[in-house]
Amino acid sequence: MNLLEVKEISKVYGSGETTVEALKNITFSVPKGEFVAIVGESGSGKSTLLNMIGGLDDPSSGKVIIDGKNIFSMDDDSLTIFRRRNIGFIFQSFNLIPELNVEQNIVFPLLLDYEEPNEEYLEELLEILNLKERRYNLPSQLSGGQQQRVAIGRALITRPALILADEPTGNLDTENTSEVIALLKEAAKIYEQTIIMITHSRSIAQSADRILQVSDGILTDFGRYIG
Amino acid sequence: MKSYLSLIPISAKLRRRQNNMTLLCIIFAVFLVTSIFSMADMGVRMEKIRLIEKHGNEALEGLSTNRTVYSCYIIASLLFLLILVAGVLMISSSINSNISQRTKFFGMMRCIGMSKRQIIRFVRLEALNWCKKSIPIGVLLGVLITWILSAILKFDVAGEFTEIPLFGISLLGIISGILMGVIAVLISASSPAKKASKVSPIAAVSGNSSDVENITHGVNLRFCRVETSLGFHHAVSKKKNFILMTSSFALSIILFLSFSVFIDFVGHIMPQYSNTPDITISSKDGLNSIDSILIDQINAMDGVNHIFGRRNIMDITVKLTQDEKTINKVDIISYDDFDLDCIAKDKQLIKNSDISKVYGNSNYVIITPDAKNKLKIGDKIQIKDRELEIAGILKYDLFSNDGSPDGNLTLISSSETFTSLTGKEDYSLIMVQTTKDVTDEDVEKISNIVNTDYIFCDIRDQRTTSVYIAFKLFIYGFLGIIALVTILNIMNSIVLSVSARTKQYGAMRAVGMSQNQIIKMIIAEAIIYAISGCVVGSILGLFLSNRLYYTLITKHFSYATWKVPFVSLTIILLFVIIAIILAVYKPIKYMRNISITETINEL
Repeated sequence: MNLLEVKEISKVYGSGETTVEALKNITFSVPKGEFVAIVGESGSGKSTLLNMIGGLDDPSSGKVIIDGKNIFSMDDDSLTIFRRRNIGFIFQSFNLIPELNVEQNIVFPLLLDYEEPNEEYLEELLEILNLKERRYNLPSQLSGGQQQRVAIGRALITRPALILADEPTGNLDTENTSEVIALLKEAAKIYEQTIIMITHSRSIAQSADRILQVSDGILTDFGRYIG
Repeated sequence: MKSYLSLIPISAKLRRRQNNMTLLCIIFAVFLVTSIFSMADMGVRMEKIRLIEKHGNEALEGLSTNRTVYSCYIIASLLFLLILVAGVLMISSSINSNISQRTKFFGMMRCIGMSKRQIIRFVRLEALNWCKKSIPIGVLLGVLITWILSAILKFDVAGEFTEIPLFGISLLGIISGILMGVIAVLISASSPAKKASKVSPIAAVSGNSSDVENITHGVNLRFCRVETSLGFHHAVSKKKNFILMTSSFALSIILFLSFSVFIDFVGHIMPQYSNTPDITISSKDGLNSIDSILIDQINAMDGVNHIFGRRNIMDITVKLTQDEKTINKVDIISYDDFDLDCIAKDKQLIKNSDISKVYGNSNYVIITPDAKNKLKIGDKIQIKDRELEIAGILKYDLFSNDGSPDGNLTLISSSETFTSLTGKEDYSLIMVQTTKDVTDEDVEKISNIVNTDYIFCDIRDQRTTSVYIAFKLFIYGFLGIIALVTILNIMNSIVLSVSARTKQYGAMRAVGMSQNQIIKMIIAEAIIYAISGCVVGSILGLFLSNRLYYTLITKHFSYATWKVPFVSLTIILLFVIIAIILAVYKPIKYMRNISITETINEL
């Protein structure tokens, strides 16, 4: 069963002579539990595509269906709540909240729902992410790799069906990069999550189940290996 | 493009909307100074005309030493300094907010080789560039407001302001306005310019301004919801900003509470009674010897608005019904209906008094405050064989020098009650209120029909209404300025805080924070400034109000006691609510319109 279905998505910026077609009629689907990597040059439209899938940006035309729901038929509030509960985001620059400590940053999406975190699950996450010792530290007291692990924890806390990662290793060194990728894969396996990750690195892309390439707004499915 | 400075007008065009706030602040400061100095100038010109009319041209020589002229300029100069300080605060917070929204721009400039000195020069010239537009607007507004105020003083307040020039242009006012604009902008721009020059080139490639990154204390999420806790934390985490915001609110409240005392003070030294006469006619012997027909005769003449008379009987002995105690030396004064109406209108009676019982031939009187016999409303007094009940008590003694009871009890009765009690119909005092357009000839005609046995006094020039209204206008105008400066400061500060966190808000939105939660967070921040400002301002303001009241009023008018100014506090509360609404409106609109992807990708 497909968790995600992207149907004929297009995005056009500007009008008249200044028109730029960032995405051209993109269609693909991702089954539950798959780890998909999106590769492409800078400005090829891959981040725009990821933002559409996450409901952060509106397409000019087309549909995004997650778990059977067309996300663009929802109003802003419903979409926000849907995103909060069903999609986990991981950004290249971590985007943690500087005033909140590690634990608070991880449980932040739950706090927005005014819910108490499940202590057992939180402990488990802290353990997997190797952040137990750092749980009361502020982001400014952590290294880049640790901050990205917090961001992964925040993406996992609501047990979302879909995780969207925009160059999660872009700001990390080689050692932290392999650690973060391994963590993402492990989490996907343990919690049966679907991951869509943008990356520049071919070697990272090779570790995914499937590779999609975006070039000039057009999507090509490379299957398991990129040539 | 001749030099890097040619970027200034291009950037100003592109950032027109963002620059509006700064322009508004400069316009406001220039407008205030222009109008204050122009008004001071108009005041001096008015004094000149008055002196020439009174004493001829030679009087002008003494003008330079004239106290009114001197004090006009002193007040204007003090206000100039005050507005300069407020203006610098206001403009610099606005430029600061403007600069911090462009961290990326300055970082990029540094990246591509602009030196720190060039950045400082850039920001200063950019600020002066704003003056080109805002100073002329401020000056024009100032001149316009001067004309409007002059017209109000000339036609509405009138009195001694009838000589004020109507469409006067004050060179002094215009020059002061321009100077104010340039000086305030240069002082205001110096600190933001340094701040901009310190933006490291790395900021252009790595992220937002450093404001949010030097955080040492986490948020306590135990007591409030996450968005409220974050809003509170944003308000208090930067101590310098928090103190500035609290003081800004508190200062307005303190000034408001203190200036309210000045209004009370003027009310005491220049009491504005509704029955203040313009002409009095009194009997030489102080007895009821003025023929009552005179009232009807004068009432029919031109220039008479109201006429009313009083009769009196002095030093009689009365008996208290309850304990049969006698009180000696009691005076009874009769009030015509208009006079009684004025007592009610001026709210001169204490609580639970009922003046309506006194009218006509009744058995009710009003008494002056009586500390000696402790008389209360409802107590009964026996005069000859007639029993009179106290229907009301005056707040202060209208017949003593300073309003405090001098030990003599005075009863005020209606004209009819007095006559039926004493049999006397003639008056001891007749008072006339003239119409606004009364002429000297009208007054002379009235004087001519008054018998030489009576004392005729024309006291029109003793009216203090015009000075009183001008003073009130001045105080309320000043309070208005303070309130506006506070609101502008708070608006700038909230915009600054929001723009410094744009990326953070974007990330919060991406991970599931709703628009409403963002709005609540911004409101929570503003509310913290308001509450802390209110608490500090009200405590210090009430203390100062109490001390000022004692020094200025109670010391001289012993009957007057300080009370918690609930009306002022309510006005303050309303002001604070309006300030919060205005302060959060712009940032909320900004956050609503901005897309999540734009904010995340922004530096």
